[in-house]
Amino acid sequence: MKDYKYIGTDVTRIDALEKISGAAIYGDDIDFGANLLHAELVQSTMAHAIIKSIDISEALKVKGVYKIFTGKDFPYKFGLYMKDRYIFAQDKVRFVGEQIAAVIAFSPGAAKRAAELVKVEYEALPAVLDQMEALKDDTALLHPELADYPHVPWFFPKPGTNIAHWRKTRKGDLDKGFSEADFILEDTYQVPRYAHCAIETHVAVGKFDHSGRLTVWSSSQSPHTQRHLFAEALGLSHKDVRVIAPHVGGGFGGKAGVTMEIIPAALATKLKGYAVKLRYSREQEFINTYQRLGVVAKIKMGVKKDGTITALDHKIYWDAGAYVEYGANVVNAVGLSAIGPYRIHNVSIDSVCVYTNLPPGGAYRGFGYSEMLFGLESHITRIANELGLDQIEFRRKNAIKAGDLTAYGAKMNPNGLIECIDKVQQAIEWGKKPSSNDPTKVIGQGFSLFWKAPAMPPNASSSAFLKFNEDATINLIISGMDIGQGYQTVMAQIAAEILSVPPGKIRVETPDTDRNPYEWQTVASHITWSSGNAVKKAALDAREQILSLINRVYHYPIDELYLEDEAVKCQTDPAFLLPLKNFVVDGIMTRDGTFKGGPINARGMFMPEFSSTNGDPETSQGGHPNVHYTVGAAALNLEIDRETGKMRVLKAALAIDAGKALNPDLVRGQITGGLLQGLATVLYEDMRYNDKGKLLNPNFTDYKIPTSMDVPDEIIPIIVEVPQPDGPFGARGIGEHTMLPAAPMIANAVEDALGIRIKEMPITAEKVALAVLNKDKQ
Amino acid sequence: MSLAHEFTYERPKTVDEVLLLKRQFGSKAFILAGGTDLIVNIKEGMLTPDLLIDIKEVAELKKLSLNGEMLFIGASISFDELIDRSEVQSYFPMLHDACKTVASHGVRTRATVIGNICSAVPSLDSAPALLCHDAIVHCASFDAKRDIPIREWFLAPRKTALQDIEIVTGISIPKVPESAGIYVKLGRYGGEDLAQAGWGIMLSRDLQYRIAHCALGPVPKRAAKIEALLDGNELSDSLIAEAIKLIPEEISPITDIRSSKEYRTHVSGVMLKRGLYAARDRLHGKKVDAAKLLGGIA
Repeated sequence: MKDYKYIGTDVTRIDALEKISGAAIYGDDIDFGANLLHAELVQSTMAHAIIKSIDISEALKVKGVYKIFTGKDFPYKFGLYMKDRYIFAQDKVRFVGEQIAAVIAFSPGAAKRAAELVKVEYEALPAVLDQMEALKDDTALLHPELADYPHVPWFFPKPGTNIAHWRKTRKGDLDKGFSEADFILEDTYQVPRYAHCAIETHVAVGKFDHSGRLTVWSSSQSPHTQRHLFAEALGLSHKDVRVIAPHVGGGFGGKAGVTMEIIPAALATKLKGYAVKLRYSREQEFINTYQRLGVVAKIKMGVKKDGTITALDHKIYWDAGAYVEYGANVVNAVGLSAIGPYRIHNVSIDSVCVYTNLPPGGAYRGFGYSEMLFGLESHITRIANELGLDQIEFRRKNAIKAGDLTAYGAKMNPNGLIECIDKVQQAIEWGKKPSSNDPTKVIGQGFSLFWKAPAMPPNASSSAFLKFNEDATINLIISGMDIGQGYQTVMAQIAAEILSVPPGKIRVETPDTDRNPYEWQTVASHITWSSGNAVKKAALDAREQILSLINRVYHYPIDELYLEDEAVKCQTDPAFLLPLKNFVVDGIMTRDGTFKGGPINARGMFMPEFSSTNGDPETSQGGHPNVHYTVGAAALNLEIDRETGKMRVLKAALAIDAGKALNPDLVRGQITGGLLQGLATVLYEDMRYNDKGKLLNPNFTDYKIPTSMDVPDEIIPIIVEVPQPDGPFGARGIGEHTMLPAAPMIANAVEDALGIRIKEMPITAEKVALAVLNKDKQ
Repeated sequence: MSLAHEFTYERPKTVDEVLLLKRQFGSKAFILAGGTDLIVNIKEGMLTPDLLIDIKEVAELKKLSLNGEMLFIGASISFDELIDRSEVQSYFPMLHDACKTVASHGVRTRATVIGNICSAVPSLDSAPALLCHDAIVHCASFDAKRDIPIREWFLAPRKTALQDIEIVTGISIPKVPESAGIYVKLGRYGGEDLAQAGWGIMLSRDLQYRIAHCALGPVPKRAAKIEALLDGNELSDSLIAEAIKLIPEEISPITDIRSSKEYRTHVSGVMLKRGLYAARDRLHGKKVDAAKLLGGIA
């Protein structure tokens, strides 16, 4: 393998000092001076209702209130993949928490006081709170105008029903597949909704100046996409919309696309000269941003006695919420990939996006794959056990290999799935369960594979500008967001490797869409791969400019020149050494006193030109909707207290094929963090709604997210590197994937320990203890 | 965080000034010590005080002392201050266990024990220890002082025997000689949580038992029937099985978002059994980590 100086090393995060010293500026830190107005929302208390009237008269009397806006002030639709949302509710509300009006005041307290005085009169409509209910013929229709909503060409809405999109994937002959099977297992799995719980709540500030230009400061994963949607919804030119994205206190998908940011953006256009700020409380963060979608999955799988999977019929019904402008793409992504990392010839997948009167579903780390894998990987273990096969051998036998066909007929990319399985099996010492001296404790082992592809439009692109400074330090100007994953550091490493400038001498700032080049979004675990390719191209562009200049001035052939230790050197002339700082801005002086060259400014762009969504709507065959998959395996030892049901992960091992770990320390960090987040979703997190569609736990008192006290006793992170041919230095994304195996691993370990199969998440201590009690009674 | 409600804020230096304000404002004045409950309640619109009286500058209320057989905790003493005192761990192990389980470390640096008992929520972690020790709550109004036994303190969820013009100045907690206790708490994960069930269990060398619970009824209370069954008897599996049978008579749990009635009842049996043996172990000088008694991550 090629030796790299910075790639593959544990470079310290370049944003570390800024963040730990408190110097980093976040959205709420920015001072807008005296002309700052504060917005507070009036939110629906009904899950589904017609708005009869809105009375703002009492609210307007509150001291400090400036103006109040309602839906009629902003009759604009918006949405990322399907335009099914309004900035404020128009004639109808479709979930508890939906924004109806905004009070604008000179202090946040006054805005809040007044918002409580706005009286909304409703006429209740039947609320549909369950996707299976929403599919019935006699159920209320949430979007009677569905046929009129603009959407991307790869969505297939069913007007006249609550189905916003139905992704069908068909391969081979399903009936034949099942007839070849010696054993068929059919069952249903359920996954509730989850919240991202980024520590920083959403915040955005809009300012529309007297010249008609809109600037929005927002805590965002998607500054350019936000600019585009603001321009589109508000009828402005892209050049007149500027999004500035300061540091972000966590995203996990919740700050992708556009949710509340459009509100201050729109309000600003009617408050010329002022800045208007909307900052969500934790409760609002729970009730009116994207949530992870709920799932009912029906799986039927056929298998031969020797363990060959012959057929899979996977039907997934998604509770996508009141608006699916982003969430429908989660449904789409999984509808293409619900075979899991397996080679299956006869496949039918129905992934159905269903409107419900719950908050809008959207991107959440894993983009639907966690939900899908909970059922599938539970099912795989159960089938292996039923057939008396070792579950790891069963997985190994059917594991997808490079060149095998995916469900939609494209070839699987090179991958190290088998190596991941082997290494996890070894690390966890599969089959050698530790035993406990305590008779109330039992120990189970759980295993799971995982895979995920970035879900992107086929033309999602990244770009990079790179400019040298006088001292040969670099400003790398890119538009992805460092949401904790270490993006800025890794991009600096890529430029560093090519230009021989240490990462510590490269500054990467958070983006401003006026100055930074286009980036689609920081989502889909694609940013290392896509933005990394753009940065690599920008660095190669700079390198080419540098070497051409040297060639022009000193006449060394370009292919004999190279960069090392911040200088240009020559293979054929060891005496030649020209430090970059001598010329990257000022150029090189020649004998006659004239200068050649000048500031080195470079650019790079990457778009996956092989990607296409032109699959057949009835089968998904044809096209190339996914650029590649990242795969891995994981296992854990779980100690369960039989009496209390309480669980403790004694040891977990997770192997992921990163293609090339550009910064192994950051990959290991993702493995720990992702596992912890995944374990929380299975062990205790759970959004609970009452029968009126009201969230019962919009707070950390009753929605528990993991603390440092909840980390497994031992985590073994394993990095496998089978290069991604089109990745920067062979890298592919790993960020979301690390949480994917957690839930099925726990379910599988619980069954291993107790002989009890739990098919509904979460698998809480209470659920386990009561299941043990029931079993003991029988 | 923005507060919609507006109020006046005072920071007096003496108890008399506090009591004068309290006499003037009555139920519209709230005492601010840690503020960890109060401010959240104001934010949520559950309380709309006219006046907040910050007592953190009142020297008399900052007292924390152990005089002979009695621990005195002043009104502005935080959980952290209590946890850090070694004599609390030595002589009041159940209280020490309980304090360590209240909220998170950050909250415990501000939250006060007195504030805790004034909130009078059913899940009050400190209550079983105070009940087992027969603590005395010291109250004062501008005109009078009175002492209220802790057993008479909790009237209903979020309702105490304190009158509108009174404040709590402190609490006295007698040692129980030749005894050991433990507080066993059921939470949902390893981090901070409100008790889904809490059992305080104490036994002495002369085989006297004191047992109290929280989060298993409208108010925390002693389990008199179980105490009577156990008193004078050495622990055994069969005796404990008898005691567990009495649990449904001692508790009245509800099903809510945190836990079901069924689970609360079931785990109470496990908690009682493990807690009794753990208290006995402590009495015999063995170290027991209360947080690990129920399994899981802690």
